[in-house]
Amino acid sequence: MSQAQTTIIADSVSIERAATKPKAKAKDGKGVNGTAITLVGLVVLFGGWSLAVKYLEVPSYILPTPLAVWKALWSGIAVSPSSPLGYYLPLWGTLKNAAIGLFLGSALGLTLGSLMAESRLIEKLIMPYAFALQSLPKVAIAPLIVIWFGFGDGSKIAISALLAFFPMLINSFTGLRAVEPERIDLMRSLSASRFETYRIVKLPNAAPFIFAGLDMAVVYALLGTIVAEFLGAQQGMGVVITQAQAVTDVAGVFAALVILGAMGILLHAIVRGLEKKIVHWGERGRK
Amino acid sequence: MPALAQIHPLNTASSPQHDLIRIRGLDKTYAGGSVHALSNINLDIKDGEFVCVVGPSGCGKSTLLRILAGLDDYDTGTAALDGKTISGPSRDVGVVFQAANLLPWLTVRENIALPLRVGGKQVGQAEDIDRLLDVAGLKDFGERFPYELSGGMQQRAGICRALVRSPRVLLMDEPFGALDALTRERMNLELQRIWQASRKTVLLITHSISEAIFLADRVVVMSARPGRVIRELEVPIPRPRSNDTIISHPAYPALAKEIRGLLNASGDE
Repeated sequence: MSQAQTTIIADSVSIERAATKPKAKAKDGKGVNGTAITLVGLVVLFGGWSLAVKYLEVPSYILPTPLAVWKALWSGIAVSPSSPLGYYLPLWGTLKNAAIGLFLGSALGLTLGSLMAESRLIEKLIMPYAFALQSLPKVAIAPLIVIWFGFGDGSKIAISALLAFFPMLINSFTGLRAVEPERIDLMRSLSASRFETYRIVKLPNAAPFIFAGLDMAVVYALLGTIVAEFLGAQQGMGVVITQAQAVTDVAGVFAALVILGAMGILLHAIVRGLEKKIVHWGERGRK
Repeated sequence: MPALAQIHPLNTASSPQHDLIRIRGLDKTYAGGSVHALSNINLDIKDGEFVCVVGPSGCGKSTLLRILAGLDDYDTGTAALDGKTISGPSRDVGVVFQAANLLPWLTVRENIALPLRVGGKQVGQAEDIDRLLDVAGLKDFGERFPYELSGGMQQRAGICRALVRSPRVLLMDEPFGALDALTRERMNLELQRIWQASRKTVLLITHSISEAIFLADRVVVMSARPGRVIRELEVPIPRPRSNDTIISHPAYPALAKEIRGLLNASGDE
């Protein structure tokens, strides 16, 4: 690889790092005032939405009223979990495939990222492809994956794994390389093996980066599954959306999006909660 | 508080006259020879001796310590520990780093026990961690994390970690440089106490003339780059020393003046 290429890649790594570095926690309106402002905002949003639909005479197949969305949502929630009309079965299908894809993609990303961080040879071998693929809009590969894996669960899992793979690869690689030299000196002075240094120093040191990657990977895995379901599936939230769209049930589409939004928030909260518990030292681990 | 003399009973048996570390004609260059870090260093350190190295910034004193720790290599000359040429890190050497260098994801106890967990099969004796915690005044802090401790406590834990494999030599690279002056004086007292109990051979690098005189049997003064040993000064002040008695000792002002003079002449500050 030429010097210029190496420099470009090094630059992209530092950009990625800046973008994914865990940010200092901002106070996100936790006080009474913050909650009140959020509530007022919600009321204004839904009120404005209702009034706009009513007085601007927007047809319901373009934009339904919040009430119609709520009704559609409720009809999917207030049913037996085994009902084919409810959200539970398709949501379970989507989440299951996204979770399997997330697990496979992040395990592979962490493994390859670790190998790249540990070996310059593997880094030089893999990095060009990683960046070439990274700059490609990966959902564009989805139709190809459907050809390879079919319309079953396989293609859903494959696409979400592919999407979850990259943030984990780049973040674990960057985090593992970002270790303070003094900590490496410590392990060297103790004659620690390479794997001991990896396990005891580098991996925990990279944990904030890995969690930032996981945070992205969770959302991407869900996205990947939905996209694959759009292309053809027997069940899943993507199917709920395409079926509602087919009969111009726009309120039904909105309701499904609300469910997916809530899932995204929930998964994000789970990752942040895990991070807080595991990376208890937080920013205090850095100099 | 347990009887401190019991901590390292094996080391007290060795002869105090024996040279444990022997450095001859040591030369080290960096950056393909363009930076001459150390030039013709000759230094002997006796078993059980406490030696402080002072010198201007960038005089290569940290490089010297890293070579003795087996973390850096050298170009020419020899550095030997107990007659064996130093070619890498050794169980016989414990390193105390600047700013403690504890791992924030491990408890204080886990940090101190780290050297016993890594580096292959454990030969030689291991210290009792509870006893080390007790000696260092960290008895109630073993299950805490480093960020819950003050800077002085963190560095005491760092010293415990360096002692846990019961090494013969303790190498300390400006261990108290990041602490405030009062804490530093207290740490010097503590270190003297620990050293008197264990009789390790200690090489401590410092910027502080008063710290060097307080702790050392012998002060080694190094010149600016390329680092050379320009003077070795015995400190004839009896132990145990205290922060009050040391400055009133008749030998103190002359020693401090001489070291300061040497450092100024070699181009520091």
